[in-house]
Parts: sequence; structure tokens; C-alpha cells
Amino acid sequence: MTSLSNDTTDTTDTTDELDNHIHVEQGRLGKLVMARLKPNQDMTESVEALCRQHGMKTAIVRGAIGSLIDAHLQYATPTGLREMEVNGPGVEILNVFGEIGFSGEASHHHPLQGVVADTDGKIFAGRFVRGANLSFITIEITLQEWIAVEQAEAVPA
Amino acid sequence: MKLSTKPAEAGAASTGFVAVRKFLHAGQPSYPRTLDLEAEPAEELRITLQPGALVGPALRRVLARYGQRGGVGRLCGGTARRLHYHRIETTEDPDRPYDYGPPHVLEGVISFVTGAITVGQNADGKILLHCHSGFINGDGALHGGHLLLDTVEVGDDPLIIRLCLFSRGAFVVNSDEETHFSLLHPTPME
Repeated sequence: MTSLSNDTTDTTDTTDELDNHIHVEQGRLGKLVMARLKPNQDMTESVEALCRQHGMKTAIVRGAIGSLIDAHLQYATPTGLREMEVNGPGVEILNVFGEIGFSGEASHHHPLQGVVADTDGKIFAGRFVRGANLSFITIEITLQEWIAVEQAEAVPA
Repeated sequence: MKLSTKPAEAGAASTGFVAVRKFLHAGQPSYPRTLDLEAEPAEELRITLQPGALVGPALRRVLARYGQRGGVGRLCGGTARRLHYHRIETTEDPDRPYDYGPPHVLEGVISFVTGAITVGQNADGKILLHCHSGFINGDGALHGGHLLLDTVEVGDDPLIIRLCLFSRGAFVVNSDEETHFSLLHPTPME
């Protein structure tokens, strides 16, 4: 991780304050893992298992399509987190985004988020709740490794 | 459709039971429950399809230049004049009690808001495009489901598609004994 600095800003104080809120990790994309999840497999847990199995410390979702028995999506509100249950069977996964990591800030209990459609074609979005989004017929998912560059390598001397 | 909301369990890593339904399909389950394969990144493509283009044939034409490749991608923006999409419905067939119903047809001005594509192939090596997408019709109503790319005619705004193609592996169609559907499976390729 390294902090950004910007010499063109007007005041040093603002720049320093801003720097404290910005972290940049430089890296590159590595190997791809393509998978099919059979029925009743949880999407988040399966993705994490794939990362471990293929020795990826961090990976991003490059694509995911399939269907869920029911979708359980979480979102934040001013009064706390809420969970939405969209019932199928046959809730279609329209897109999935997220990164899976096993160390530092990349770790998140519900690392995947996305968009689904119910059997009436209505659209919902949120974070996929771990253990509660089971594949109905199939999920095709492709992950790609994220390889962070060491800080000394990332910042020019 | 039943939609319900409730407060989430406190804390990101809370423990406890989660009410989750499972579904037993008519066929025999097989193991392992996840099929996976390592592949090599090959090409990253940004494809722009102009107004009037038919998306399925246009994508096949592009992909034909790259040989037998697996791939995934996303719809990154644009509109359509016409499209067909499917939703999963109940059937009378006990062997396959849920299946895609008749197509829902949208015409007019349709804006894409999200979408994912798997580039697969059948046993003969012909390209098969699997796409799920969400979109807004001219009345502002949101729709989403299994999009038939062969029916999608690009609207006045060009359609932008990003694809990541890979080598050494592809998604190939095989019949699945458990669900009785023909499904895409990760398959090694030379």
C-alpha cells in the first residue's frame, strides 16, 4: 500500500488530510479460474474455496451467470443493516462483482455483491449474504487472481 | 415471487442459523459439487456494436477471429430497440419442474443497466452465448432475466461489451444428469 500525494492542490493541510484517506495498491492480474457450481452450493463459500484450492490470496470476479433457489441480499440503512429475501426457485443472477481476499482490508464477510431478477423479472441488488445464496441449476463463475506489487516495486524512486 | 426484508444479524461475522432452502432435483447428484479449471488469460476486448446490429451474430463474427476460446464479459452500456428474454417458470414435468417460459418481448427504447455474458461452445465447437441482463423499458419499468442475444437489436446508443477471453479452457455444453438441463461446464482445451 502507498499513499498518493498531489503537488497541485492549494493547501498542504487539505492534501495531508486527503492522503490519509487514500490508499493505492498497485498490481497485476494473474491466472483465471473458471468454474461451474452445481445445485445447492453457496456462491460466496464456493468462490472462497476455489481461491484457496488454486492458491489465490486475492481474486476478483470476472463474470458470473446462473440462478439461485432464493436470493438473500444485504444492504445498509441509517438504522443498521437489513436483509432482503427474494424467493424463487429460479432467481436469476444478472451480474456479480467483488473481490475475495484472505488478508488485510480485502477480507469481507460478504465479499460479493450484485444484481438479481426474480421470477417476475423484477430486479434487486445488494451484498450476497454468506451461506444463503445457493445455486439452483448452475452458476458459471470466473475468477482472476490479483497479484499486488510490493511497495518498493510500485513506487518509483 | 415473495419478497421480504428484515434487520440483518448484528455484526459482520455474526454466527447462528440462516434459514436457507435447498432443492432436490429429479436426477442423480454427482460429485464433486464444484467443477473448476485453471485457464490462461488470452485477450481483453472492448466491442462496440452500432445501432441496428444484431448482437448475437455480431459477437460470433468477432469471436470467430480468435479461434476456440472460453470467455466471460459484461454489458457496459447502450440501448436496444428490441429484445427477447426468459424467466424461470413452473412446469407440469416432474423431471424438470422449473424451466424457462415463453419469451418476453420488449420493443421501443430499452436501456441496459447490467449484464453478464459467458462465451461457451457446443460439442461441435460452435459458439454459444449465455447472457443474463437487466434493462429499463421506455416506460421506466425494470426487467431482468435470461437474454437471448440473437434477438437483441442495438438501439440508438451503441452497445459496449467487454470480454475477457482465455486459452487452455472453455465452457462447453454437456447434459447434466442431476438437473436434466444442458449446461456449460469448464473443459480443458489445447
